[in-house]
Amino acid sequence: MKNLNALLAGIFLAVAMPFGALVISSQVQLGPLGRAPAEEGGPLFPSLEPGLAIRGRAVYVSLGCVSCHTQQVRPAGQGSDIARGYGVRASVARDYVQQMPVLLGERRIGPDLANYGAPASKIDIDALLRDPASSGAAWHPYYSYLYGRSADGKSIVPSERAVALVAYLKSLRQDYSSPEANLKQ
Amino acid sequence: MTQENRSDHPQGRPPEGDSRLTRTEVQLRGPFLLFFISSVIWLLAASVLAVIVSLEQGSLSGGPFRDCEMLTYGHVAAAQHNLFVYGWGFNAFFALNLWLLSQLGRFELRNGWLATLGGVFWNLALTYGVVQIFAGNQTGFSLLEFPREVGPVLAVAFLLAGFWPIVAFARRPTGHTFASQWFVVGASFAFPLTYLMAQLLILWQPASGVVQSIAHSWFVSNLLLLWFGSSALAAVYYFLPKVLGRTISGYYLAPVAFWSFVLFAGWTGPAALIGAPVPLWLQSVGVVAGAMLIIPVIIIAINFHGTLSTEGGWSRAWNDTTLRFVSFGAVAFTLFGVLNAVFSFRGPNAVVRFTSFAAGQEQLLTYAFATMVLFGAAYFILPRLTGSLWPSAKLIHVHFWSTALGAVASIVALLVGGWENGKQLADTTVSFQQIAKTGSTWNTVLSVSTVLLLVGHVAFALNAFGMILKSSAPASAGRHD
Repeated sequence: MKNLNALLAGIFLAVAMPFGALVISSQVQLGPLGRAPAEEGGPLFPSLEPGLAIRGRAVYVSLGCVSCHTQQVRPAGQGSDIARGYGVRASVARDYVQQMPVLLGERRIGPDLANYGAPASKIDIDALLRDPASSGAAWHPYYSYLYGRSADGKSIVPSERAVALVAYLKSLRQDYSSPEANLKQ
Repeated sequence: MTQENRSDHPQGRPPEGDSRLTRTEVQLRGPFLLFFISSVIWLLAASVLAVIVSLEQGSLSGGPFRDCEMLTYGHVAAAQHNLFVYGWGFNAFFALNLWLLSQLGRFELRNGWLATLGGVFWNLALTYGVVQIFAGNQTGFSLLEFPREVGPVLAVAFLLAGFWPIVAFARRPTGHTFASQWFVVGASFAFPLTYLMAQLLILWQPASGVVQSIAHSWFVSNLLLLWFGSSALAAVYYFLPKVLGRTISGYYLAPVAFWSFVLFAGWTGPAALIGAPVPLWLQSVGVVAGAMLIIPVIIIAINFHGTLSTEGGWSRAWNDTTLRFVSFGAVAFTLFGVLNAVFSFRGPNAVVRFTSFAAGQEQLLTYAFATMVLFGAAYFILPRLTGSLWPSAKLIHVHFWSTALGAVASIVALLVGGWENGKQLADTTVSFQQIAKTGSTWNTVLSVSTVLLLVGHVAFALNAFGMILKSSAPASAGRHD
């Protein structure tokens, strides 16, 4: 404990070993993952993201939505995510290969959004963002500043950011089969 | 217990200093006060934001800020978190670590302007980062929310402001080292490595897919345990024996505590990803490391509580301002360690996952432990460096009781509220509306606790700033213990 070099070497190893074993080896294991078909010749999933959805993700990040919403479905037996209807299967690493940044989230002050854009979801997202209390989500923050009024003042018009955000939320889905999560099985 | 030898190799007890302001303290005064004053200003700002966050969380859809984009929940929560960690936690530990190492190693801070420059860079970068968060320019990764251009500036500023303990360790005149020195060197060396690698793999050359989240979990665990945890442990190892005037109980175990803490801490990150779409082996490593962390926690508990439990230590701690805060922190660290071990396991973790429970654990570590220890340290150091007395004993009482009660209330609200929330989330018959309704009770407790903490911090700031302003004594003036 008196030798600084030995002390620093020990601390360096204590930082570097977990970094190598946890982060670098994960990159080696998961880095090559890409879009793939569940069965040979089938369509590639996850689908390519529309440009509008990519812009919408930037709005999602900018507003800090990740502080209240997760985007991950845990497997059965670890919580009740599937039973609660957050998804039809557990999320797998391949679902996130196109996402930049990956927004798994750590808190569920609001519901999980991993499958928010799945066809079963019938929520009027514009109404929810503009006036959450009227949409039965009184705990949700207001995003009324993303909406304006038309020139004649009679109708509400979403801003470009609102359009992009809604497009992003509608693009969120993990209801397809992939090599790691084949729904037919 | 090892034999104490005060002259050359004091074991389990920091060396005695003389009663006058030493030359090393004179050299430290400028940078120390810069870091300290900055830290308190950021703490006040973070406390005000914490009140807004808790009010917004209690009624997100209402309130005066509902149409203000800048103050939307996602901005204020991120700004508050970063201000508390990088504004308060880092500045305060820069000051404390510098002082500790100079005391333990008789280090003379030549070129102190470099530390001052680092402090200026750090606080300017922090200000810029927080303004950017309010402007909506954030990254989406907790505690790395600042736009990526802030990262390199913070890293350089850290090297200027926070690397001195390593220089002090290298230049110490005696061969003997003390536990506090190992922990401070550990914190000062581990953080920049961690921060740079995390910046690189998350923001500059992002890793593929969920590897970003894995790197992030590794970063957060290192930041909380190896910076906050190690730095605060160093302070407790110093102040307990120093103020009580006795050796640390079971001090011979301290090296085991240090190495096991440093070795296991870095592996605990993936415990925050249990159930996430990351490899199962990785989650298991996190569970095992979280459980193994109980080893240093037990040893440190033997060291701290053993020292406090002999010869009326607890009652002396209660009657001494520094020790009252420090021993509060020591108990909080043990609680944190036990909770961390238990809730690393899959079963309990599955219940509290995605609830406020993790925030409660973080509050236990960064506030009830680290922040209370920092307060205790300030009560010890500031009179020595300023040559003044604390202006108001009443404000000290207000400070202790407000922060102690506020800390306990916030932690109970976050932990118990999180547990209840988790139970309800697991029950599919309970709707989200019902869960939100139940949570509102705990939100009220949380709001009250944030107000209590703000009151405590204002009392502390008034006292501390009053003392610094009053201090016109020349640097060589005597000090009082």
